[in-house]
Amino acid sequence: MAVMPFIKSGFSQAISKFKLSVYLWLIVIVVSLIMVLPVNFQIRTALGHLSWPENSLMPFELNLVEIFIANQNLLGSYSLFLLVTLLFSAGLVVFLSGGLFGQMINSGDIVSFPNFLAAGCRYFGRFLLSLVLFIPFLMVFFLIFKLLSAPLHLWSAQAVSEWPVILAGWLSFVLLALLWPAFKVILDLVRIFMVAESKKVTVAYASALKFLGRHFFQMWGLYLLVSLAVVIISAVWLAIYRLLSPAQPGSLIVLIIAGQAYVLFRLLARQVVIGVEYNYFSMRKES
Amino acid sequence: MKKKIWLKAITRCLILVISISLLSAISGSAQPRPVNYQLEVELLPLTAILLAKETIIWTNLSQDYISDMHFHLYWNAFKNELSTLAREARREKYIKRYQAKEDEWGWIKITSMTTADGQDLLPLAAFISPDEPPNPHDQTVMRVPLPEPLAPGQSIKINIEFQARVPKNGLRTGYYKDGFFISQWFPKPGVYEESKGWNCHEYHLNSEFFADFGDFEVKIKVPSEFVVGACGEEIEKSEDRSAGKTTYTYVQENIHDFAWTASPRFIKVERWFKGEQEVTPEEYEQLASLLGVDVLDIKLPDVRMILLIEKQHRNQIERHFRALKAALKYYGLWYGPYPYRTITMVDPPFRTGSGGMEYPTLFTAGTSVLLEKDVLTPEGVIIHEFGHNYWYGLVANNEFEEAWLDEGINTYSTGKVSAVAYGPGRIPARFNGLPLSRLFKLPAVYDWQLGRVISSPVAKLDPIVTPSWKFYNSGGYSLNVYYRAATSLFTLERLLGEKTWARIMRTYHQRYRFKHPRTEDFIQVVNEVSGQDLNWFFQEFFYQAKDFDYAISYVETRIKPQKYQGIFDDLPARTSKQSGEAINQASVQKKDGTKQKIYDTTITLRRYGDIKLGSGYKLKLMVEFEDGSLEWKEWDGQSRWVRFYFEKPTRVRKAVLDPEGLWLVDANLSNNSYARKGPGTKIMDVTTGLLWIAQNLIITIFGWL
Repeated sequence: MAVMPFIKSGFSQAISKFKLSVYLWLIVIVVSLIMVLPVNFQIRTALGHLSWPENSLMPFELNLVEIFIANQNLLGSYSLFLLVTLLFSAGLVVFLSGGLFGQMINSGDIVSFPNFLAAGCRYFGRFLLSLVLFIPFLMVFFLIFKLLSAPLHLWSAQAVSEWPVILAGWLSFVLLALLWPAFKVILDLVRIFMVAESKKVTVAYASALKFLGRHFFQMWGLYLLVSLAVVIISAVWLAIYRLLSPAQPGSLIVLIIAGQAYVLFRLLARQVVIGVEYNYFSMRKES
Repeated sequence: MKKKIWLKAITRCLILVISISLLSAISGSAQPRPVNYQLEVELLPLTAILLAKETIIWTNLSQDYISDMHFHLYWNAFKNELSTLAREARREKYIKRYQAKEDEWGWIKITSMTTADGQDLLPLAAFISPDEPPNPHDQTVMRVPLPEPLAPGQSIKINIEFQARVPKNGLRTGYYKDGFFISQWFPKPGVYEESKGWNCHEYHLNSEFFADFGDFEVKIKVPSEFVVGACGEEIEKSEDRSAGKTTYTYVQENIHDFAWTASPRFIKVERWFKGEQEVTPEEYEQLASLLGVDVLDIKLPDVRMILLIEKQHRNQIERHFRALKAALKYYGLWYGPYPYRTITMVDPPFRTGSGGMEYPTLFTAGTSVLLEKDVLTPEGVIIHEFGHNYWYGLVANNEFEEAWLDEGINTYSTGKVSAVAYGPGRIPARFNGLPLSRLFKLPAVYDWQLGRVISSPVAKLDPIVTPSWKFYNSGGYSLNVYYRAATSLFTLERLLGEKTWARIMRTYHQRYRFKHPRTEDFIQVVNEVSGQDLNWFFQEFFYQAKDFDYAISYVETRIKPQKYQGIFDDLPARTSKQSGEAINQASVQKKDGTKQKIYDTTITLRRYGDIKLGSGYKLKLMVEFEDGSLEWKEWDGQSRWVRFYFEKPTRVRKAVLDPEGLWLVDANLSNNSYARKGPGTKIMDVTTGLLWIAQNLIITIFGWL
């Protein structure tokens, strides 16, 4: 199977609608700021006037640990706040998925923030339901993972040195990373059917499973291929980021920009995955 | 043939006699020792069973008539879920490791116990529960009534035969497949304290041990493919080829415990620590001057270092020896020469739960296959566990009742040796067994820096001087007796100065070598050598659960107003004019004629903690102004707060409470300083890092959902 055309067209589609990543980035940064600001406030209150490093008896990280310990009483309420924010985020990302799939797939829609939000609203209910119906698949996923990783656990349990334990741990991790896309493509494809063919959720599931019956390995392979590219680019980014790390004047700004560029890259990668999956679907749906 | 056997037997006897004489000369103290052990043990690895014989000669060194003996049978702590240790482990729900499967329980069973003249002691023997709360199901202490009371100076010889099963999920001892670490394995008498009776506690989750000094001769029989290490010196090895077994004989005088290990996966490596090579003449001179002793008094002897390391860690052999050499050097120089001829360092057999433990002349370290150079975990463990040969091994405090005396002092000593030999070590970060240093690096810290931060939360939980099993939980125990105690000692060192402190520590060690000191003995030495009454320090920091936290609470700077509002007519006329001028003078004239503003600065210090400074001690406050001028203030710290006022033509640049960093035990050093320009970039760096993590977390959820 020639994979490049799908990747190429998926990538082109994502780039042409790059604005979507920017919208997502904006929303994600606002939610993240909500999560982080209380911590920032606490750090500023406790350490904003610290005489550092001249009179410091310890690295700054230990000052952070110290104020964390000193403010343990706030930990419970902050954890609750984080939990609520994360739950809200989970709901939000379903909404954002609706916006993203809607704008990526509906070629008639002009990419704009209002249209993006409108698509999010339009598909939110159905996407949420598709997620609920995905739970049995998740259970199958965990069952298969448990079965496949059982020999690794056995190997690890019988080991007489650390190496099998470490290797088994990482092989389990790799197994998880390989297996997850096999299930994730189901959900993605269901949503493609819902958006591209305006199908109801259950019908979309049936259609997606039927489609995957014929094209499962290709779609899984495509997903893995894009994921591999993301991993490689992430590693390169990390290497560059580490070169920037030493504290130099102005380096903080550069580090912030590099960090945010990576966030944008990850969002774009998600767009590319959807683009590639949709292009494959479009070209193969009649076959 | 016969002649050869005779020659061999005579040679062995000679070796034994010479070895014991040499050991006496080197390690022996002139004090009589109450106990003498002869042990013979065979390990049956397939069933993890020990078959053993023990002969104890115990002498009554007190003036009491003693009618019974109390024995520790530690392995019965792993016998069932009702032992004191198991109950305590269950209470701390996160500890799962002591839960055993049906065939994995550990135990010790005495099958025969007779006096030298054949009287059976077992019929009247009974398990007792000496500690509070009593546990009738615990079988770790056995009381054995004697046929007749033992008079002062009288000895009793007891012959014991016992079987024991090595616990699979033991604490400090255990086995995994064919790797064994065997400690606390034989019936051991408690310590008899004159007019008080037996000091023989149950085996608790958080407690270690206490025993009398004695002489050991131990024969260990194992399958021949096993590599063996043990306390003391190996003086004989005989192989029975037909049975495929080898018997090793170890001897050591003047120690109070005996542990051993056996595994076919060990590599045995030996090196010598040479005092003359490891310490330069200049180092000897400097230290002799610091301690006020003659150079000859601190010369270090040669020591045979034996390393038993798992094959998987063979690339770390030199790391292990380097750390051990550093420990032998600095503990020897600071506290006194290591008195034994050998030290055995064991990389604990995989999954035996025996890492990081100390026994006289033997200790277990602990490392992992993938280890960065700047992460000093194995080095820290090696230095610490070797250091226990000084604090626990030689100065043998009661670990059940006052664990800080060895763990706290030794954590302090470990921090000192690590700092001198290595500098700060990086905090390890690992995921799934892999080091993450290529992704990001946690900071490099000194032991005392980390120790003081992590121990501050337990200050109000328990006093440091608390019996080990009476701490709130394991965290409270370890953070108090290890780190809070060490932090308090680092503070004392800074308060008293390096020279005084070095002399205190050496005096304490030398005075209580081969003895069982208590906390009051340590305090007495501190007071005596320092010439100060520091009882208040120990009372506050060691005997009470209080915290210590002084802080700069508030710094306020205001431009002095041009004019004050209000009515000032109650002042005398002349003074009124002068005062009025002064009141309205909100600026001073510079040399060039321009006017400069006057600033009113108020600095408020607070005592958040319950501990107050001792009488005669003061906290210093250093205030640095933007024109470079400095002002120093002192506070006796008795009240809850104090306020200092400054009126200067310049603003405060920074203020630091305790600028010399003497009070390391302060629970929160982050509130001890104020700078007009704080670490804004650092805070921004942290915030953006957290933001980035939060963003990626949400995006990951986005990818999943």
